[in-house]
Amino acid sequence: MASLKRSAPEDSSPELSPPSKLPREASPVRLDEPVACLHDVSYPSGYAPPRRSRPATDKPSPPAREFPFELDPFQSEAIKCLDCGESVMVSAHTSAGKTVVALYAIAMSLRDHQRVIYTSPIKALSNQKYREFKEEFGDVGLMTGDVTIEPNASCLVMTTEIWRSMQYKGSEVMREVAWVIFDEVHYMRDRERGVVWEESIVMAPKNSRFVFLSATVPNAKEFADWVAKVHQQPCHIVYTDYRPTPLQHYIFPSGGNGLYLAVDEKGKFREDSFQKALNALVPAEGENKRDNGKWLKGLLAGKPREDSDIFKLVKMIIQRQYDPVIIFSFSKRECEFLAMQMAKLDLNEEDEKVNIETIFWSAMDILSDDDKKLPQVSNMLPLLKRGIGVHHSGLLPILKEVIEILFQEGLIKCLFATETFSIGLNMPAKTVVFTNVRKFDGDKFRWISSGEYIQMSGRAGRRGIDQRGICILMVDEKMEPSTAKLMLKGSADSLNSAFHLSYNMLLNQMRCEDGDPEQLLRNSFYQFQSDRALPDLEKQLKELKLERDSMVIEEEDSLKDYYNLLQQYRSLKNDVRGIVLSPKYCLPFLQPGRLARIQLVHDDKMPSFSSEERVTWGVILNFERIKGSADDRRPEDANYTVDLLARCHASKEGGMKKSIKIVPLSERGEPVVVSLPLSQVDSLSSIRLFIPKDLLPLEARENTLKKVSEVLSRFAKDGVPLLDPEEDMKVQSNSYKKAVRRIEALESLFDRHEIRNSPLIEQKLKVLHAKQELTARIKLVKKAMQSSTALAFKDELKARKRVLRRLGYITSEDVVELKGKVACEISTADELILTELMFSGILKDINLEEMVALLSCFVWQEKLQDAPKPRESLDLLYSQLQEIARRVANIQLDCKVQIDVENFVNSFRPDVMEAVYSWAKGSKFYEIMEIAQVFEGSLIRAIRRLEEVLQQLILASKSIGEVELESKFEDAVAKIKRDIVFAASLYL
Amino acid sequence: MTTMQRELRLSLNQTQRVRLQSALQQLEEMTSLASAITVVADTIPVNHEDSILKGHGTSDLNGEVVATLCGVVERVNKLVYVRAQRARYKPEVGDIIVGRVIEVAPKRWRLEINFSQDAVLMLSSMNLPDGLQRRRTAVDELNMRSIFVENDVICAEVRGFQHDGSLHLQARSQKYGKLERGMLLTVPAYLVKRRKQHFHHLENYGVDLILGSNGFIWVGEHVDMNGENHILADQVSREDMADKSCVGQVTQEVHERITPLEIRTHICRVANSVRVLSALGFNLTVEVIVDTVEASISLNTDIKDILAAEFYVQTAEREVQRRVSLSRKKG
Repeated sequence: MASLKRSAPEDSSPELSPPSKLPREASPVRLDEPVACLHDVSYPSGYAPPRRSRPATDKPSPPAREFPFELDPFQSEAIKCLDCGESVMVSAHTSAGKTVVALYAIAMSLRDHQRVIYTSPIKALSNQKYREFKEEFGDVGLMTGDVTIEPNASCLVMTTEIWRSMQYKGSEVMREVAWVIFDEVHYMRDRERGVVWEESIVMAPKNSRFVFLSATVPNAKEFADWVAKVHQQPCHIVYTDYRPTPLQHYIFPSGGNGLYLAVDEKGKFREDSFQKALNALVPAEGENKRDNGKWLKGLLAGKPREDSDIFKLVKMIIQRQYDPVIIFSFSKRECEFLAMQMAKLDLNEEDEKVNIETIFWSAMDILSDDDKKLPQVSNMLPLLKRGIGVHHSGLLPILKEVIEILFQEGLIKCLFATETFSIGLNMPAKTVVFTNVRKFDGDKFRWISSGEYIQMSGRAGRRGIDQRGICILMVDEKMEPSTAKLMLKGSADSLNSAFHLSYNMLLNQMRCEDGDPEQLLRNSFYQFQSDRALPDLEKQLKELKLERDSMVIEEEDSLKDYYNLLQQYRSLKNDVRGIVLSPKYCLPFLQPGRLARIQLVHDDKMPSFSSEERVTWGVILNFERIKGSADDRRPEDANYTVDLLARCHASKEGGMKKSIKIVPLSERGEPVVVSLPLSQVDSLSSIRLFIPKDLLPLEARENTLKKVSEVLSRFAKDGVPLLDPEEDMKVQSNSYKKAVRRIEALESLFDRHEIRNSPLIEQKLKVLHAKQELTARIKLVKKAMQSSTALAFKDELKARKRVLRRLGYITSEDVVELKGKVACEISTADELILTELMFSGILKDINLEEMVALLSCFVWQEKLQDAPKPRESLDLLYSQLQEIARRVANIQLDCKVQIDVENFVNSFRPDVMEAVYSWAKGSKFYEIMEIAQVFEGSLIRAIRRLEEVLQQLILASKSIGEVELESKFEDAVAKIKRDIVFAASLYL
Repeated sequence: MTTMQRELRLSLNQTQRVRLQSALQQLEEMTSLASAITVVADTIPVNHEDSILKGHGTSDLNGEVVATLCGVVERVNKLVYVRAQRARYKPEVGDIIVGRVIEVAPKRWRLEINFSQDAVLMLSSMNLPDGLQRRRTAVDELNMRSIFVENDVICAEVRGFQHDGSLHLQARSQKYGKLERGMLLTVPAYLVKRRKQHFHHLENYGVDLILGSNGFIWVGEHVDMNGENHILADQVSREDMADKSCVGQVTQEVHERITPLEIRTHICRVANSVRVLSALGFNLTVEVIVDTVEASISLNTDIKDILAAEFYVQTAEREVQRRVSLSRKKG
């Protein structure tokens, strides 16, 4: 990028940059330590480093904090940057010890009486960090959606969402914060929440400095360049993919008995051993094992005679003393099922059991007696006592925390967890097991990406305890060595922007005088990345142009003329064919035995240019309507396929798929019955053959085709008689007649064209065609360039503003109106629908419990398969909500915002309305758990979010001056905020 | 119209009076006052079958919705509220206001902003003069008078109401803060409508115009804000000078500069134009103000004569023409 000075040493002039900041590859501190890290700096364009006239004699100020251990090179490198007072992006594995950098930044700020903000993506992580920092520094506060502790402390731990809303509101913290620490900043690629990071980084105070902690990302430099550009300050990058404990990767083939080393600790892929592992894979003896969705049944081995794979594996791990172990699976239910398989195992000694019991019950002490009796609570203890734990988002938050604590204490030897366990606090194990190599990502099963693999396997190996970490991959199907290599040894996922617009963002930006949504867009990482792509596109364009210009064709003009004529002719022919062979006309003629001319599919993409087309003949056997297209359509509008007998060449590709290609009759091939879409039939002849009833034997088919050849040779002289469109098929449309007349005209033009007779016309046309294609590609590239020079999202921004105007949220001059102000306050649920709901008066009409139940639709996103419908009064409310949602969605559609109306309407789920209703009524938690068949943890999370929404609604109703509604919301908060749902975190 | 004439307190001659009256008459005809005007305790007609939301200026009395303010009834979907006709300023989050410091209190300044209570600007809600991001110390608190003292005019943004009901302001960036070398005008708050921009730089005149939503209007010499670079450079230079009390020097330098006469006359001209418009009760937008200023120049009106009868009448007539042409455009 031109505006950014590349920070390679040669072009940053030495007198400009102080030597300490010269980008360089940090030399390893100790020679025996093979740990190196990359250090680089991004400078904003035109940046002149401030001359700090600190004399050399001046003692360097003492470090803000000393650590009792020797720092790794990347840590000391990053800390050096902090000491210079410059931003730094640290990209390293989870276990590498990035927290040290954060700790140093906090210590530094506290020393200088500055504020420091620490943000993390997850509330639980914030809680844990709060505890960690509190013990360390004392002057620490916490702000999450749930709790606020000491908001005036110098070091504030918060979720990124809170930090963003503080910035919008212009909290005083903004003027005091010198350092902002973004932990797990790679969350920025999260489809839903990633945009929050971009907003917060763009809006951050001009004079503050940043510490970004991220997992390993290959494009850390790009990110730093962006920060440097947006904030006009240098940003360092410290990158290392060093692991304190090396990893060994094993494969455990399902049904097999042993482990096979796939990648050793030096990172070498063992091909032979990998193959052995795959050979040991016992072919699924079940019927449903091949089916990915049901593989679980196989794994669980519903057969009592044999232990399940997972049981065997865990036993092996324990025997080999590879514990503690974390076993990752990709769904909550699976986690629990697998844990239940361990019923026979007992991994703990008696004294450990006593310990666990004490810890467990002292943690559960804050629960009421009723809540202690919850099945999840009472079922968990026996499991834990045996040293087995489960950790996923469906657990009660308090249980999750107890399990984390027990795991950290080493009292849990075997933990079944979902992916969420792989982010955040340092909770390593010796071994990590992946129960599956495929993951369901919303619509299909796919291989785990190498980035995900890196993140999860990062939990293996405890620093200072284990010599090496062990990763075990349970494989239940054949996989190519290349796939495995890619997964096990691939690079980390790169950090890409997931920027998108939201109404709340726009309104908040428009509300303040300085705010300008366009400015935000211009500064987004998304825009930055697409700007980056520009030089590439330019290069591409240049090359394409060069290639095009190098093609020289004689008599190009007349050739082009001819070419155009040909194209026209072809498209007209196609039109005619389309009319004649539309189901309306041709269906009656698709009788079995009729000869049909078939277009051949060219695989070389290069169309031939003789006016003769490549065709062959086949015999129609049957035709069928394509299912799936709406059934209520009239028969003539539906799509059809035709079954034809033709000579085909079957080739095998990749061992799996057979591809069948129709070939001309004279060529070699087998007679095969194929289904073709109607569009591939060229024309129908008036001849029908008698076909044998049974075409199963090969000879019968062969004979039929022979007959076809005979017929063809008989008519060789004047062509096979075709069905006449007008006389036989009664095609009587004007467009048909017109097209036929034009074809005739064109044909006469062809004859007059002199170039037609020139030799090599075929080749010339091909070259010309290639040239034309190039031109088309150039056009495409130009278009892509245009769209990336233009402001990304510009059209969407316009469309969304139109929506806001239509709904009366802003005026035509972009001044935020009353409704807009209400929507500004709402950030944790759909702001438009909630505002509309409020202004429609529905919330005021209904009683408190109903209102809470209705609002639960905004916070519940999981889709339950067979959730019972809520009672009538609630269902009525729900349909009112849907009505509003549909109206708003349609307005958005009208304003050209891309939206799937029905999807949007159905994104509000009524599934927990009943449960929340009775929770607001004052039911016990175990009672509402009987109503809703959902995970305890999910429901708790929903209710907590609901409380957040209510708080925002209180503010909103305050701003419109509706006192009754305000007090109603306040009452609602009081009603739902109780007991186990809002039990304080153990970390606080 | 009588109220207006009373407020104008002008000595009009006979023709001027007729012209003014007809202009105002026309204006009155053009503005449709169809929207229901209520007085206090009037019942606001609502459809009781629907649920309605009762917003500001309304109350429930024996099942009837009654107005608690004189003003215009506004409805947004099911929300009914009364917009006061001529009230004090009512702050909303994000408003730009101009205020006058009336007290320096612990960690805060109190400002008069034409609201029913004084506004509070916390020391922590504004950037420190040294531009550093840090916590406020006791020393900063002691030095508060070096930032603002009583009777300083300040521009700020409404941050919101605190839990105790007090109104808090903030100065987000460098462009907020103390206003010097200019005039503060007070007009009825309702004449200033909320716009996207309230800061205006009238380049032709070298004048800054800040239309505070609270009806305080600042007309002053243009201050070059030149964005962040300015601040950064400032900061760097300060760092260079280390602890030598450079802040004092800088402010002194500023004081030595004198606003040129030309700019001062421009300021007066703009200020008087604002006065005319507000006396006539016209909405104050930057376009109208600039228009009036230009008219006064093209008519060769002396600055002092802007406030004279003839220019009043002309301004009223011009407004009539403007609205006529506007309605034609729409029609």
